[in-house]
Amino acid sequence: MEFQNFTILKRDGSRDQFSLDKIMTAIIKAFEAVGETYSIGSISKIISHLDIKDDIKVEDIQNQVEIALMKEGYFSVAKAFMLYRQSHTEDRETLDKLNFLTAYMEAANAATGSKFDANANVEHKNIATLIGELPKSNFIRLNRRLLTDRMKKMYGKELADKYIDLLTHHFIYKNDETSIAPYCASITMYPWLIGGTTGIGGNSTAPTNLKSFCGGFVNMVFIVSSMLSGACATPEFLMYLNYFIGKEYGTDYWKNPDKVVDLSLRQRTIDKVITDCFEQIVYSINQPTGARNFQAVFWNVAYYDKYYFESLFGNFYFPDGTQPDWNSLSWLQKRFMKWFNKERTKTVLTFPVETMALLADNGECRDKEWGEFAAEMYAEGHSFFTYMSDNADSLSSCCRLRNEIQDNGFSYTLGAGGVSTGSKSVLTVNLNRCIQYAVNNGKDYKQYLEEVIDLCHKVQLAYNENLKDLQEHGMLPLFDSGYINMSRQYLTIGVNGLVEAAEFMGLEITPNEKYKEFVQGVLSIVEKLNKQYRTKDVLFNCEMIPAENVGVKHAKWDREDGYFVPRDCYNSYFYVVEDESLNIMDKFKLHGAPYIEHLTGGSALHMNLEEHLSKAQYMQLLKVAANEGCNYFTFNIPNTICNECGCIDKRYLHECPKCHSKNVDYMTRIIGYLKRVSNFSQARQEEASRRYYAGPKKMTV
Amino acid sequence: MKYVNTGVVFQEIPDETTLSINISNCPCHCMGCHSEYLWDDVGMPLNVMSLKPMLDEYGKDVTCIAFMGGDAEPREVDILASYIKQAYPHLKTAWYSGYSDISKEIHLKNFDFIKVGPYVQRLGGLDHETTNQRLYRVEDGKNLVDITSRFWKKHNF
Repeated sequence: MEFQNFTILKRDGSRDQFSLDKIMTAIIKAFEAVGETYSIGSISKIISHLDIKDDIKVEDIQNQVEIALMKEGYFSVAKAFMLYRQSHTEDRETLDKLNFLTAYMEAANAATGSKFDANANVEHKNIATLIGELPKSNFIRLNRRLLTDRMKKMYGKELADKYIDLLTHHFIYKNDETSIAPYCASITMYPWLIGGTTGIGGNSTAPTNLKSFCGGFVNMVFIVSSMLSGACATPEFLMYLNYFIGKEYGTDYWKNPDKVVDLSLRQRTIDKVITDCFEQIVYSINQPTGARNFQAVFWNVAYYDKYYFESLFGNFYFPDGTQPDWNSLSWLQKRFMKWFNKERTKTVLTFPVETMALLADNGECRDKEWGEFAAEMYAEGHSFFTYMSDNADSLSSCCRLRNEIQDNGFSYTLGAGGVSTGSKSVLTVNLNRCIQYAVNNGKDYKQYLEEVIDLCHKVQLAYNENLKDLQEHGMLPLFDSGYINMSRQYLTIGVNGLVEAAEFMGLEITPNEKYKEFVQGVLSIVEKLNKQYRTKDVLFNCEMIPAENVGVKHAKWDREDGYFVPRDCYNSYFYVVEDESLNIMDKFKLHGAPYIEHLTGGSALHMNLEEHLSKAQYMQLLKVAANEGCNYFTFNIPNTICNECGCIDKRYLHECPKCHSKNVDYMTRIIGYLKRVSNFSQARQEEASRRYYAGPKKMTV
Repeated sequence: MKYVNTGVVFQEIPDETTLSINISNCPCHCMGCHSEYLWDDVGMPLNVMSLKPMLDEYGKDVTCIAFMGGDAEPREVDILASYIKQAYPHLKTAWYSGYSDISKEIHLKNFDFIKVGPYVQRLGGLDHETTNQRLYRVEDGKNLVDITSRFWKKHNF
């Protein structure tokens, strides 16, 4: 056999001249490793079994060597050869990690450096964030193994293989595969109020006064967040804080905020005591956290109008038998928002993400005072989410998660039923690839989507079984202690690439019948299966995921595989983010009732504006949102941060208003979180710069 | 009279959510004009027939309809404003004129806001305190109240 003129394909895809010497050396090493004698003749005989073709892969040659050794009866040598291969594989993995480490150190910021799960919530790049990044690839392998093992038991090997096939070919995407914790949760704090943190592995007893509430709350949020991979929402935060303030200063404390209540030299007033509590909690929670790879915990809070308050907490009792008081809570909610808005001009505070729940009736806010207050806060430049519903039977307390309230009741062991929810796991369908693949292969795309989405449900059920297994072994104290409830948490089917798929189908992305039919057709498939797979223990929902990094990955992978990809980051909206021909009303319409009706898990409209509006104008936009049935939205005006003097201004400026430096950065929301644009990954920064901020075309005619 | 495009705007009329209709064939030709694309007689016809679908689509969402330009045919602008006042009484109407004096063919009762004055680069637009331009609110269908200073207020956040 003549070996001299072949090329081989190396692991990195490059080609090299085939070298017989290298193979012979490797075989001889294996013989020597087990002390087996060899001769030129025996080695030649082994090599004569090899079938070398042009462009053969290194692994294939090595496989053939193993078989050849065994054919000739050198079993112990074959074993030594395999071990030799294995040690080289391990070396290569270590080398990969070393290369990653070097690249990470040199990357512009943490999100760009992250290879697996870029996240703008990491502000700095340091040894702590690096420690978080390094094991991510191992977590991905472990998670896939856990899921496929379970799927094999539940549905057989074929389906497990199909899952891996769809995953590795980017038809679907498993979110947060780099963590093994459940995703996000909106918790009830009642178990903490009753028993402190002991039930979840902490050592503090129940809070008894304002001071122990504030300190204990921070610790509790840290403990809860360390057992989740995503956000932790505490929709009762202000209600409980209000209770402890009332216990200290009387329930009508809010009527005399200027009363001096501190006998120390500082002579603090009630208002100062309260804002000091805000300061302690908010600044503590915004710190990077060791247990979360130097990310701050993702913390969300909620505000309610009177009707939501009554619906959620009307039956609630504190341990001392009293009920929450609306008038003081209403005051405290407003005080917190005003304080937080002002504090954000001093420093970048990402958390809490706030959602205000308003009940709407015939296009108007039923609670006029709170509707007006929402408009007033927007006009003062505060950035928060508004959730509007015709019925207080659903709520959003997370940065995007919508929750059908199933139980408004109160229980003496679990507290308010309506607030505890969340998403255990998100599995996302890349609609653009699925639909294009089906159409290009002459398949009915709806039928094909149904197959893919059906598989997603089975994968999620397998995940759920694994989670139950963890719980049975005492690994999930958040569930055991009643902070969240296994059967009230959703399994989420995410969608990404919807607009891009519609563009591929030749549809115009404007409020029009054809596009509406397409959206409803696609999303109703998910909803149909969500209902079909729903049992009393398992809930599914559908969410348009805020694709901070998935959108970028999908666009890149799909483009590489020759699919139609109109932009570098798939949208998280029903409209094309950079389309300047759509006006604000069109965008509200495109996030209105007909489009979002099947998105049971929610999607937030981020209305990007260039300049702040007046209160009267925001009032009108709240009306528009209520009329169109757009239930979840925020207004987004980039804030300016000066890189020279640190000044933060709520306006979108090109020059620092204080020191007039042009070296300015912006804060905006791309996912739910308000962050510096320079912390976004490279691709996301480009998307942010292409975004159209609707504004004055001109001031003059 | 023709228009080139429309938009939903917030800065042109204080406190209103405005559907602006950008009218072409502008005779003013101000030096440094921000909308030179409106100088030629281009675009689609603007009349009651073409206005009605816009009002039906956005009339519930906006609070005001603003005609941006139209100095070549002020009578036409006046007729359209009068139509809006009759058929959509909840909507306010505004006219952005480039001339310093309000045309004789305009009936004040048909408008809630009228802006006058050409753009003079040296003096700046409405947001400059040195501007020559004026925005008036029409009170009781006849009195003009100068509200230009609304554009000068400093942000208080």
